[in-house]
Amino acid sequence: MAKFGIFVTNAKNMAHIMGVTKAAKAKGEYVKIFLTWKGTLLAKDPQFRELCNAADEVAICADSYKKMGYDPQNDIPEGLTEKEMSTQAKHGYIIDDDDNYMTL
Amino acid sequence: MPKKVMFLIDKSDDEKDSLDALRSTLGLSVANHYSHAVVMNHTLSKFDDYNAENLEWVRDMEGEVYTTEQANADTNDLKYASLEEVGKMLREMDVIVPYGT
Amino acid sequence: MKILHVYRSEPSETTKKLVEIVSEGRESDSFDLSVENPDYDALVDKIIAADQAITWF
Repeated sequence: MAKFGIFVTNAKNMAHIMGVTKAAKAKGEYVKIFLTWKGTLLAKDPQFRELCNAADEVAICADSYKKMGYDPQNDIPEGLTEKEMSTQAKHGYIIDDDDNYMTL
Repeated sequence: MPKKVMFLIDKSDDEKDSLDALRSTLGLSVANHYSHAVVMNHTLSKFDDYNAENLEWVRDMEGEVYTTEQANADTNDLKYASLEEVGKMLREMDVIVPYGT
Repeated sequence: MKILHVYRSEPSETTKKLVEIVSEGRESDSFDLSVENPDYDALVDKIIAADQAITWF
């Protein structure tokens, strides 16, 4: 199964992220998403839970989330677990591992 | 296997966008990639200690932070490169990351 | 090497110049993400077919 990574830095791209994720899953790709900086604001988007269900792996940068004003320990977004409150190393893992990659 | 990565940091109405892109650049360095960045079309304020240290770390990990603006080279010791030189470097990159905006 | 240029907005002069240099002598394709209803299925096909995708500003 080919792997498809999406690196998200922008809070305005939820429609694109959802569209690409669903299209890639329909083609049998394994989809991994990492949200950082203002992209972590999407963790509060009403569609975020649906995105977590659609993708195979979703993680966010806990440090960025904190900088956006949220508590990464006590306010874990719905759809994620504590271990998915991650670091930039997750971006490294996506780049290491994925056949296809895009930034949004 | 380590990959060659270039973050592209274009002008933004929030300087923190650019500084966080440098943090992401360092994050990939620490994750054992050859991670570089280029600041284009805008100038940054004098770095505080935290951001100056991030720049040093990127260099320690065999990366570089370039800029197409001489003012950033003068103020923050970024390495000047013309847009043509940036384009040529991009041809050598495995991954290109236009950041934010 | 086949490169896919994905545009999230109308490309600036800087983007156009970089695209020109990066694409020189290489096979390249493009996709406009700024349209009202992008064909994500077609986009994913193009990304899979490319050796490298660059999602410009």
